Amino acid sequence: MRALGPGSVSSFLKIILDVIYVGLWIFVSLLSLFTLVALLFSFNPELLASLLPISDAVEAISRDGPLFAGALAAWALLLGGWMVIVERLRKIFATLTAGDPFHPDNVVRLRLIGLVLAGLEVGRYVFSGMARWLAPKAKVIDDSFTLTAWFSVLVVFVLAEVFREGARLRREAELTI
Amino acid sequence: MPVRVNLDRVLLDRRMSLTELSDRVGVTIANLSILKTGKARAVRFSTLDALCRELQCQPGDLLTFEYGPADSHDEDDED
Repeated sequence: MRALGPGSVSSFLKIILDVIYVGLWIFVSLLSLFTLVALLFSFNPELLASLLPISDAVEAISRDGPLFAGALAAWALLLGGWMVIVERLRKIFATLTAGDPFHPDNVVRLRLIGLVLAGLEVGRYVFSGMARWLAPKAKVIDDSFTLTAWFSVLVVFVLAEVFREGARLRREAELTI
Repeated sequence: MPVRVNLDRVLLDRRMSLTELSDRVGVTIANLSILKTGKARAVRFSTLDALCRELQCQPGDLLTFEYGPADSHDEDDED
């Protein structure tokens, strides 16, 4: 089983990444739309009251609406970050499928993936901290320090340097007559 | 670059075109152009062997060393 080139494992993974990317794109779009709707209703409870004649629901939404909209926005940002990662991975895997793993652009792509991973991890701490502060009773995501995540970030940065060296060697090979 | 490639001059002396040399040594015209314009980083012994054989010359006829500023290619790579 070949790892690189057309019809290889890379091309199979590229197809999977394409599907995930489209799924994420749809999900993030819907989430952003729901966030906007939640924001609209939380700041205009009268609008909801005119649409739904349920006073309890209106009261609950006017009380928890901004928090709910904030949580939706946080999830949209988180998934947006994952979308950036998947999009860069798709481009990396496209170069692998073409049989050109040490394309110079892959260095920048890997560095960006590392930065976004680090950003997502920091964002997780920030959002879960804010959630604990704003809604102490709510069940929030775990904000504990995860060694695996930071280890992954470091591995991605090291891989970026490996690819940089590979790109340099490729250029050397190209200019060796 | 302190090492100069004199392929142009040798070709002129032998009245041979780059295309003809390319056919004889089995190196593409694009690669020979890289070599001729001094953009090459390295030359394989096999290429040098083929060039000397077809041009009936010595490696020293093709390559000369000139004192001057050091090559900046490696510094470019660090960017």
